Amino acid sequence: MAYNELIKDFEKIRDYMREFYIYGFKSREEYDAKSARSYDNERRRIGSWLGDYMGFRQDAAGKNVFLSVDSRSIPHNPLYQAFRAKSFTDKDITLHFYILDLFSDGAELTSGEIVNLILERYLAQYEEPMSFDESTVRKKLKEYEELGLLTSRKRGREVVYCRSNDQAIDLDSWMDAAAFFSEAAPLGVIGAYLLDKYQTSPAYYGFKHHYLLHALDSSVLCDLLHAIDERRAVELTVRNLRTGQENQRTLCPLNIYASTQSGRQYLLGYHYRGKRLLFFRIDAIKKVTIGNCDKNYETYLEYQKRFDLNLWGVSTSSERGLDHIEMTVHIGNGEQFILDRLEREKRHGRCEMLDEHTCRFVADVYDALEMIPWLRTFIGRIEKLQCSNPSVVDTFYEDLRQMNKMYGGGGHAV
Amino acid sequence: MLFSELYGGYFHAVAAVLKEAVAGTLTDQRMTEIIRGKAFAESVLTIPANLKNSTWPLLCKDNTTPLLNVPTMPLTTLQKRWMKALLLDPRIALFEPRAEGLEAVPPLFYPDTFVYFDQYNDGDPYEDAEYIDHFHTTLRALREHRKLKVWFRGHTGVRHSAECFPYRMEYSEKDDKFRLLTVGNRRCGVINMARLDSCELLEPYDPDLLHLPRRKTEALVLLLRDERNALERALLHFSHFEKETVRLEDRQYRITLRYEREDETELLIRVLSFGPMVQVISPDRFIALIRERLNRQESCEL
Repeated sequence: MAYNELIKDFEKIRDYMREFYIYGFKSREEYDAKSARSYDNERRRIGSWLGDYMGFRQDAAGKNVFLSVDSRSIPHNPLYQAFRAKSFTDKDITLHFYILDLFSDGAELTSGEIVNLILERYLAQYEEPMSFDESTVRKKLKEYEELGLLTSRKRGREVVYCRSNDQAIDLDSWMDAAAFFSEAAPLGVIGAYLLDKYQTSPAYYGFKHHYLLHALDSSVLCDLLHAIDERRAVELTVRNLRTGQENQRTLCPLNIYASTQSGRQYLLGYHYRGKRLLFFRIDAIKKVTIGNCDKNYETYLEYQKRFDLNLWGVSTSSERGLDHIEMTVHIGNGEQFILDRLEREKRHGRCEMLDEHTCRFVADVYDALEMIPWLRTFIGRIEKLQCSNPSVVDTFYEDLRQMNKMYGGGGHAV
Repeated sequence: MLFSELYGGYFHAVAAVLKEAVAGTLTDQRMTEIIRGKAFAESVLTIPANLKNSTWPLLCKDNTTPLLNVPTMPLTTLQKRWMKALLLDPRIALFEPRAEGLEAVPPLFYPDTFVYFDQYNDGDPYEDAEYIDHFHTTLRALREHRKLKVWFRGHTGVRHSAECFPYRMEYSEKDDKFRLLTVGNRRCGVINMARLDSCELLEPYDPDLLHLPRRKTEALVLLLRDERNALERALLHFSHFEKETVRLEDRQYRITLRYEREDETELLIRVLSFGPMVQVISPDRFIALIRERLNRQESCEL
């Protein structure tokens, strides 16, 4: 099939963009594609959409493609471009402009009247006109009604359509909100679509610590939010990000747990088979099939509220119950900011001042092992670390010993 | 449906082309310009051809169109539901969109569906009337290219006032804070919006004459050992930086990040959080900072 810069299915391009953006060191031969041509086509498409952010590097293994963006320096997420590349048929685009033109003066029309008007008003001007039958037009009208572009009503035995009226919405007043929230709210790509309606959009917003990659999971997230809104079960196709193996999971979706620091987003749901709450990484979900309403939704939400009280991150692996952890931190003269940091960054637990220069942070969490990265950020100030799970303390100090060795330190035994 | 041609670059570009055709001002050159601006790099190879050869019978040979009206598209239900969801976000008061027309629309999601579990606890006070008022004034300055006089508290609590040229409103989701970036006064390059005591609009300025500060970035080179899934964790964690990764040998990678010097302390603790999986190999100053923390840690335990 001839190359086309548009795509029918988002899933394949999602994988390639993720690989180019996150890793960017793999050569052409390493991509798990059906053929080399498939890789070349995907790379060319991404280059066509995001050429300014694409880089190449040649090494012994071949040419590597990568996407690199300093997200702080741009007002809009460039990865949204992929969502603007959906393919369509010649009839789709033609009917789109004909139908909206016919309804633009507020007319109410049946599908038959639309077909006649298309023939008379538009196609009569061409020597070899495109052919439309009424069923094609009717299908398109129904699709546009579902999307909210048209409304319909019965007139006698006929169905008449007209354009949806959104004139009460003052779109001008939404420009700043659309510009900001297209980057700072879930499903920001919808805001990017809104911004396409303006001649220009504000370029004075900037975003720090901004994870662009969430954009690629927007379709999955949108399906999950529909299911959550309607309190429906879902069947997920989930791919193990290490082995590539795909599995099906059926659950009741409850919440989205979004990390502002790791770049990851998770779905929390009640897993029917395991009879417990489970997290799934959203970037590992390949497909969402929405099922029936779940009458126990409120009960599961109550579970979630209780569950959340001792969650540090998203790990629930502890079989021992709760881990009790205490970290004693030294606060030097003029170092109030350390205490501020503890108060600001702790997700659970409490801080106790032991004396003017010493603070103890205490918490009970499901899995204290996942606190280790945060504990390490206080290296240089930790006077004492204790945990009911000994592997937390062991891992922390063993890592510290390795770091001392790595950086040529270790004058004192750790 | 989120992934739809309705929102696509081609539909968008063709609508803009037809707008000019309806007005009778379309030329071939103009068509190319529009497509370059609204679609993708290679779209000029397909869109004009399809319009010209009537594969899409929307344009006549003389660049007129059988359409009678400028193409417009109403908002889709998905767009309206997203807008309605924004009305429930506490930050929406900062932007003052009008809620009319969305009364009967259900939100696409509710704020409590999302749990930002590692967001800092001292975010800006989005419901504080003074904060909102300052934000509105500042946005107006940005929109209208007006100078601003600001009275604010520095990080030590000392009060300052200054006249400045605001050029960007920066938001950090991790900090849940807005910061105003300005030029024209050394005292107030970056102002935390929550620390503004007062602000006043001054005269307009010509944005073309404004010299924005060049961002001084430095390269941080890390050696990563892929254990405990460190490669994926680190590359995702640092993905918002401009970066390049090179595979050295099995399970060893070199990552080069470009960062701003003012963020060095923050980056230092982020690197520390990866423990021995990540080793800084350049610059020397950064390595010295890590050594200093490690040495201090040893002293702490004595």
